[in-house]
Amino acid sequence: MKTIRFAPYIAMLAGIAWTGIAFGQQELILHQETDIWQSNALNPALFPKEKRFVIGLPSFGLDASHSGDITYNDLLRRQGDRTILDLGKAIDKLEPENDGHYDQRFETFSLGLRLPGNWFLQAGHAVRINAALRYPKALAELIWNGNAPYIGQNLNVGFSTTTFDWNELSIGLSRRFGTSLSIGARAKFLSGISSLQTDDQRRAIQVYTDPDIYQLTLQTDYAFHSSSIVSAIDTSGLGFDLALNELKNGFSANTGWAFDLGVQLQAGERLTLRASVLDLGGSISWKKNSNYFYSNGSFTYDGVVIPGTDIINGTTDSLDFTAALDTLNDALDFQKTPEAFTSALPTRYYVGGNFKLNDRWSVGAVLMHQSSEARSATSFGINARWAVLNWLSLGTMYSVNDHSVTNVGLSIYAHPGPVQVFILSDNALNAITPYGSAAVNFRFGGAIVF
Amino acid sequence: MISKHWLRTLLLLLVAGSFYPACRKASLEEADIADHTAEFAFPLLQTTLNLKDLMFTVLNDSLSSDTIVVNPDNTMTLYYSGDVAEKPATDIFEFFKFPDAPIPVPDTFYKFPIDVPDSVYVHRADVKSGILTVVLNNGFDEPVHGTFHIPQMSKNGQSFSYDFNVPGKQFALSPGFDLTGYQLLSDSNTLEFRYEAYLPDGSRVVLPEISPGIAGVGILLNGFTLSYVEGYWGFAEYPLTLDTIDIDINQTNLKGNIQVKDPKVTMTVANSWGFPTRGVVKYLSFIGKDGQEYKLESTVFNGDSIDFEYPSLVAGEVGQTKYTHIVLDGTNSNIGTIFNAQPTQLIYEVAGISNAKLDPTIVGFLTDESTIALRMSVELVLEGSAQDFGAEQTLDLNFGGFSDLDTDNIEEVEFKVVTENQTPISTSLQLYFQDEDANTIDSLFLGDPQFIMQAAPVDANGNSIGQQRTETFVPMDVARFERVREAKKMYLKTFFTTADGGTVPVKLLATQNATVKLGLKIKTRF
Repeated sequence: MKTIRFAPYIAMLAGIAWTGIAFGQQELILHQETDIWQSNALNPALFPKEKRFVIGLPSFGLDASHSGDITYNDLLRRQGDRTILDLGKAIDKLEPENDGHYDQRFETFSLGLRLPGNWFLQAGHAVRINAALRYPKALAELIWNGNAPYIGQNLNVGFSTTTFDWNELSIGLSRRFGTSLSIGARAKFLSGISSLQTDDQRRAIQVYTDPDIYQLTLQTDYAFHSSSIVSAIDTSGLGFDLALNELKNGFSANTGWAFDLGVQLQAGERLTLRASVLDLGGSISWKKNSNYFYSNGSFTYDGVVIPGTDIINGTTDSLDFTAALDTLNDALDFQKTPEAFTSALPTRYYVGGNFKLNDRWSVGAVLMHQSSEARSATSFGINARWAVLNWLSLGTMYSVNDHSVTNVGLSIYAHPGPVQVFILSDNALNAITPYGSAAVNFRFGGAIVF
Repeated sequence: MISKHWLRTLLLLLVAGSFYPACRKASLEEADIADHTAEFAFPLLQTTLNLKDLMFTVLNDSLSSDTIVVNPDNTMTLYYSGDVAEKPATDIFEFFKFPDAPIPVPDTFYKFPIDVPDSVYVHRADVKSGILTVVLNNGFDEPVHGTFHIPQMSKNGQSFSYDFNVPGKQFALSPGFDLTGYQLLSDSNTLEFRYEAYLPDGSRVVLPEISPGIAGVGILLNGFTLSYVEGYWGFAEYPLTLDTIDIDINQTNLKGNIQVKDPKVTMTVANSWGFPTRGVVKYLSFIGKDGQEYKLESTVFNGDSIDFEYPSLVAGEVGQTKYTHIVLDGTNSNIGTIFNAQPTQLIYEVAGISNAKLDPTIVGFLTDESTIALRMSVELVLEGSAQDFGAEQTLDLNFGGFSDLDTDNIEEVEFKVVTENQTPISTSLQLYFQDEDANTIDSLFLGDPQFIMQAAPVDANGNSIGQQRTETFVPMDVARFERVREAKKMYLKTFFTTADGGTVPVKLLATQNATVKLGLKIKTRF
C-alpha cells in the first residue's frame, strides 16, 4: 500500500505540530532569578554580585506549545516497546486552524569576567532552534481518514512554517555606574544551520474530491524557502519524497547579527528594576544552499479517459491505470530556484523588578512582550522567592500568557559552594507531565562561580 | 553534617527526576501508525460515446460506400449503397462471330451473312482489332493475278483491297492485314466479298474449287473485335442478371432487434446501352433474420417491369451513361417490413427486353464498354426502436499499482458507475473479469447484466429531452476484489434498448452522446 509511505511524514508532521513550533522563548521566571548566571542571557546588564569569574555549564531550555488543549499523549503512546502514532484522538481536539511553536536554547558554554573599573565581560555559545507552524485541521484529517469522508468538500491542506536553527556566538560588556545602575550590551554573531520557511503569500494546497466519480482536483499555489533542509522534491513513482540534507551543527556562510541591551537599577535597598531588549535587529541571511520551491497549478485527475470512438471501433484493446496515476504527481511539481532569503529573530522585551521583603523573602513582577512578523504575544507574571537555606532558594510564579491564564511556575536554585544548579519552569505542572500538556516550558543548567 | 549532604543530594535527585519526563525523547521516525480505518476514493475511467460514431459502426453493412449525413435538424440519415450487379453488353450480345476456319468465297461476288443477335440489324460496326488473311488456291496450270475487295469495309475512305498473283497449281496466303480502325457498313446483316482474277492472256476466271464444296478463295479472320456497333434493335428478351447476395449489418457482433422507421431503398440502373431496354423483375425477395422470405411488393414497377433510361444516338450521347432511379419506401412498397426483418440475403432475377415498344425507327448502338449496372442504396433516417441490441468487446486490463495493494489492509471496496445519457437508449451491461487465458474469474455484477444507463426521457415525437443520470454502486468484498484486481482481460457485454422497453420509436440525433464513468472507493485498515 503506497500510503504507508506517508507514515514517516505523518510522524514528522505530528512532531512538528506539537513540538516543532516557533516563537521566542518566554522564560519569565528565569528573568526574576537574577542570582542564576544564565539569567544574564535575558539581560546583559546582570552580573553576579561580588563574583569575579563565572564558567557557565551547559544549559538547556525549551518552550513549546500548541493551540487548544492537544497534548503529546494525544498523538503518541507506548505499546510495548513501540511508539504508536494515533492522530484519531488528536484530530477531535483540533481547531480549523492550529498553531504551535517551539523554541529551544542549548547553551554549550559561557564565561563571565569582572574587569577593573566596574566593567564586566561576558561571552558564550548557544545552539538555538526557533520554529512556528500553522496548519489546518483538514490536513490531519485528510492524511488520517483518507479523502473519501470529504467528498464534495474543498480541503485546504496548505500549512505554513518558519523554522530555523543556528549557532550563536556572543560577546558583551556591562558596566556598573555608581552603586545603583548597570547597563549592558551584547553582540551575537549568528551562523545559520538550516531553515525552512513557507511563503505566506503562497500557502494554498487545495484538494477536492468530486462527488461524481471521485475525480481528484489538486490546486496549488504554494511555496517555501529552504536552506540545508530540503534539497529536492521527487514526486515520481506515486510518492512524495523529500531529499533531506543531513543536519549539521557546523558554522556556515549563512550569517547574521543580533543585539541585546539591558539595564538594571537598584532603587533603594529593597527594590530592583530591570529592562532589556533581546535579539534586537536579529536576522540571518540564508545565502548558501538556499532555494525557493514553488508549486503553482491546477490538476484534475479524471481517471483513464478512453475516446468513445476507440470503444466503438474496438481499437481500444487495453486499459492501463499505471501511467494515468503517475500523472497525479505532476500537480505537485515543485520548481526549484536558487534564491537567498532572510529569517528574522523574534525580538523580546522584558521589564520587571524585585522587592526584597526580608533576608529570605522577595517578591517581583515581570512583563514580557515579543514580536515577529508571524505573531506578537505578551506575558505577565508575579513571583515570590524564598531562600530556604543559604545555598537553596525556591521560587514560584503565577503568570498569564496568550496560551493560558493558569500558569504556576516553580524554580529551584541550589548553589552549594561555587557550583550553581537550577531547574525552573514557567509552568511547573506541564514540565513534570509534558506529554499530557499542550504547552511545556522548562530550563535547567548550572555554572561555576568564583 | 552528613545528613546535610544527603539532603542536598536527595533534593537534587528528586528535582532532576521530576523533570525527567520532559527530557525523555521519543523517536517519531520510528513510530508506527495506530490501527485505524481510512477510506480513499478516486476515479478509474470514463468515456463518452457519440451517437453518430456509434450508429455509424452499428449500422455498417457489407456493401460499400457508407455515409452518414447529419440533417439540418440534427437527425441522421445513414446511406449505404453498393453495386449489386453489372452486365457488360458483350456478355449478352455477340456480333460478327467469325469461324475459326477460312470463310469461303465461292464466287467473284459473295454476300457473307453476319452473325448478329436476333432482331438486330447492324448498320455500322467499327473494328477494334483483327487480322485478315486472304487464302487463294490457283487450280490452273498458269499463273493467276487479280484483286480481292471488301467494299463495305473501309478505312480513311479507302475500301479494303488486295492485289494478288498466284503461280499455277499453287496455294497462297496474303499477308495478315491489321483491321484496326476499319469501319464496316451494312444494312442487311451481310458483308460483301468480291475479287477479279485473270489468266496471263487476260481472260477473267473464277478460281476453281479445291475439292467439291471447298472454295478456291477464302478469308481468315483472327482476333476480330468491334468497338462500336450501330443498328436497329428489335423486340427481344434476354436474361439480364440472377444472383443471391448476403447482407450483413452486424460487424460488431451485435444481437437483438432493431426497428427502423421509414427506411428507403433506392435501386439505380446505370445504363450505357444505346437502345431502349425494359427491365423485368422476375424475382426479388429478401431472406429475413428469422429465415423467412419476404417478397418485395411495390407499385413502382409497371407489371413488374420498368423502362431504363438510355443514351440516344440521335442526341449524340454515345459513351454516356443514363440513370434510372427506383425508389422504394413505405408509400409504394413493403420495404419497411422487409428491412425491419433485418434481411440477411437478397435474391433477385431481372431480365431485359430491347425495344419493348416495338418502335421500328429507333437506331441504337453499343460500344465494347456498354454496361447495365444495378446499384442499391439504403437510406435510413435513424429513427426507430431497439430491444437488447448488443455489443461485445474484450479489453486487456492492467490495474497497475492497485495490483500491488496488500489486501490485508483492505476492508472493502465499492465501484461507482455513473452514466450521463442524452440518448433515448438505455443500456444494460456486464463486465466479466478474465485471466490471461480468457477464463472468467469474476464479474462486475452478480448474476445478469444490470441497467446502468437509463434512457433519456422522450417527447411524443420521439425526441429525447434532457439528460438522464444514473448512478450504480457495486460493493465488492475483499475476496472478490482480490480476484478482480488480478484480472488481465475485461470482457464487456452491452445491450441497448430504446425508451419504454424498445416499444416506442425514437429519434437519434448526431449531437447526442452518452458518458460512462467508473470510480472506486477503498476502505483500508492499518
